[in-house]
Amino acid sequence: MEQIDAQLFLRMVRAGTDRLNNNVEQVNALNVFPVPDGDTGTNMNLTLTSGLEEMEKQAAADEVGKLAEALSKGLLMGARGNSGVILSQLFRGFGKGVAEYTQLTARQFADGLKQGMETAYKAVIKPVEGTVLTVAREAAEKGVAVSRQSDKLTDVMEAVLEQARVSLDRTPEQLPVLKQANVVDAGGQGLVLIYEGFLAALTGEEVVSPVAQPVNKAADLDRLSDIAHEQSAQSHFETGDIEHGYCTEFIVKLDPAKVEKTPFSEENFREDMGRFGDSLLVVADDDLVKIHIHAEYPGEAMTYAQQYGELTRIKIDNMREQHSTILESEGEKESPAPTDAKPYGLVAVAVGDGVAEIFRSLGVDSVIQGGQTMNPSTEEIVQAVKNLHAEHILVLPNNKNIIMSAEQVGNLVDVPVTVLPTRTIPQGLAALLSFNAEEEPEVNRDRMMSSAHGVQSGEVTYAVRDSQYDGGEIEEGDYLGIWDGNISVAGKTLTDVSRDLLTQMVSDEADVVTILYGEDVMEDQLQEITRFLEQQFPDVECEIHYGGQPLYYFFFSVE
Amino acid sequence: MGKVQVITDSTADIPKDLVEELGISIVPLKVHLGNESFLDSINITPAEFYQRLQQAEEMPTTSQPSPIDFVEVYREAAKDGETDILSIHLSSSLSGTFQSALLAQSMVEDEFKVTVIDSKTASFGIGMIVVEVARAAKEGKSLDECVAIAQRMIENHQVYFLVDTLEYLQKGGRIGKASALVGSLLNIKPILSINSEGEVCPKDKARGKNKATGRVFDLLKQDAPNGLERVAVLYSNNREEADTWVARIKDEFEMDQVYLAEIGPVIGAHAGPGTLAIISLPKES
Repeated sequence: MEQIDAQLFLRMVRAGTDRLNNNVEQVNALNVFPVPDGDTGTNMNLTLTSGLEEMEKQAAADEVGKLAEALSKGLLMGARGNSGVILSQLFRGFGKGVAEYTQLTARQFADGLKQGMETAYKAVIKPVEGTVLTVAREAAEKGVAVSRQSDKLTDVMEAVLEQARVSLDRTPEQLPVLKQANVVDAGGQGLVLIYEGFLAALTGEEVVSPVAQPVNKAADLDRLSDIAHEQSAQSHFETGDIEHGYCTEFIVKLDPAKVEKTPFSEENFREDMGRFGDSLLVVADDDLVKIHIHAEYPGEAMTYAQQYGELTRIKIDNMREQHSTILESEGEKESPAPTDAKPYGLVAVAVGDGVAEIFRSLGVDSVIQGGQTMNPSTEEIVQAVKNLHAEHILVLPNNKNIIMSAEQVGNLVDVPVTVLPTRTIPQGLAALLSFNAEEEPEVNRDRMMSSAHGVQSGEVTYAVRDSQYDGGEIEEGDYLGIWDGNISVAGKTLTDVSRDLLTQMVSDEADVVTILYGEDVMEDQLQEITRFLEQQFPDVECEIHYGGQPLYYFFFSVE
Repeated sequence: MGKVQVITDSTADIPKDLVEELGISIVPLKVHLGNESFLDSINITPAEFYQRLQQAEEMPTTSQPSPIDFVEVYREAAKDGETDILSIHLSSSLSGTFQSALLAQSMVEDEFKVTVIDSKTASFGIGMIVVEVARAAKEGKSLDECVAIAQRMIENHQVYFLVDTLEYLQKGGRIGKASALVGSLLNIKPILSINSEGEVCPKDKARGKNKATGRVFDLLKQDAPNGLERVAVLYSNNREEADTWVARIKDEFEMDQVYLAEIGPVIGAHAGPGTLAIISLPKES
């Protein structure tokens, strides 16, 4: 009987990741709102890449269960955005379902998909049909049905994929917002792409080389060093007798003139560099080559690399020295002086240096950069939480696409975490005003959320494609005014849209309007808005701050 | 012994007519602006002070009366040999005034007895207590009865105040537990109070003066389910706003009499201009 063994499973996930990775923009384009918003494709891709990276560390494993567990762990840590969280849950359930297996029959594989789908449904508080959940459910059910008739892997996977496509096409019928925007569900599309990769790997049509994925092109030196050191740790790196004493990292900026004389080949370069030491990692991109090597004579390695261009970001550490320091400190090691934990640690997600500064000024201990266009992963939030020394953590996601990944954090850290489901920056700021360090977490949660709901949130951005809204047509490049998550104004000039949005938002009961302006706002535009507010609403206090956020010209808060 | 003479300090911010009517003795603190020093509300009126404050480049400072200042007033009151002296002062958490009075008390203890009380409050919070005690004294109540009245009011009265800026409280070192509110980039109106230790503490926060005022009145209602026995509105350089608060209290609490007191230079130097406060004594059930 045909079975999926560990290597095949790895190839499937590689192919799935590759397929998604190559179609990120297509998935992003399916976002319902034509705003530069939390990009579903990007989020799913980063999440899945994190899962695959974790798998690659176990690439030698010969049990599917082990790999599926690694995938699940990587996905969970890398989960970004709601679609990423759901994806992580799909494979968490799958991983549990196949944990005991060395190889998978078609039937076991299909049952795993079903278990994944069930886990995802449970993880979502209010599952909505017409989303990736529906696609996953119907596809898994179809897969289970076919696996009872055929034990051929491709039969089952073909059925799963076909059903996923049919379900995806139906999503606009189930979800009116999709129909209005004339798109299918983006998360569902992402899942279809992953399944396409799976099938291609099963049929052998598509083979993705493993090196393409685990080290991302954008990998920076720090990551490179982490990867290299992790590998050396795995290969029993004996620090006692260090042969190559200097951990060396640098970047070569490929110089076209030099490369003309000595053509650059990544493979040859890697081979040549290998002569200078071990723990070698080389990552090349169009014009940069990043190198990590443990060498005894780092100068020689660098001289060699210099024939291709200039060197930059050079970092050399003496590992023998480090080693003895570690031994020393371990010898004297006493438990670190216990400092008193603060009753609360506050973590907020915000975009823009000005906005972050305002959050800090209101008592937030750690601000994670992220928001509309870049949803932080669960892991980033976990790291922020781990760096705080507090008895209880409050997390303010300040974006509807970050709430779910924030909610995963509690499962991954030892300290109790309360997520305040703030959906906008103004809500986050309003919630902080009601925070009281002397109150219990439940009391704080209730008070802070009640304050958050007492504020109106407005955003001004631009359309990334043609669309429509209740008020009419939207053309690409139009300015958009968004009021509590709904497009309520569209127009050709920034000031007109901003004025119209404010006019809608400022009611008779409004006392204070706070404006956070983005990095692309001009002084005269800002002045025009301020003058308008003063003239139109003389009784309202108006406060203006630099937010520095990209893509969003203004955040308005009316309370 | 006979009648009770009530002595307080200038930070009680008691309106002049009441001081005269009830024969209250007042020991002044001092306020310093630049190189000049003034006796609180004696050789500088609140109006003059706030005007000079606007032009001043440095923050004003204040100083407590010396023990000798107290001794003189105590000796004057004790002259007839039949008077019980009750001296009620600014919170010891905010000022050394109480300490000075205690020293003065020990300096005269061989001659006569002085009862010194820490009001654990400020401004007309002290004033309202002193006025009540002085009335009782005028009616012929004993020292013990007067002390009991003072103690009950110290325990039961509530203070809420809004400052225009926390700068004065912070720079004058009286910000107490409200220090956490300093440094916020957003314009936040803190609703401040004075706790049972006599320190400034934050009670709540709001955006905008209207919301903050609404919150003060909510708190007032929470504290006084049976209505108010006594209530006062305090202001510094913002009489009109204080008048609207008085009208609102009369309306919402059906009070005929609402004290209105101007915050004097010494308290004003620490709270800043534009401060509004409510002192209340809720009715007991």
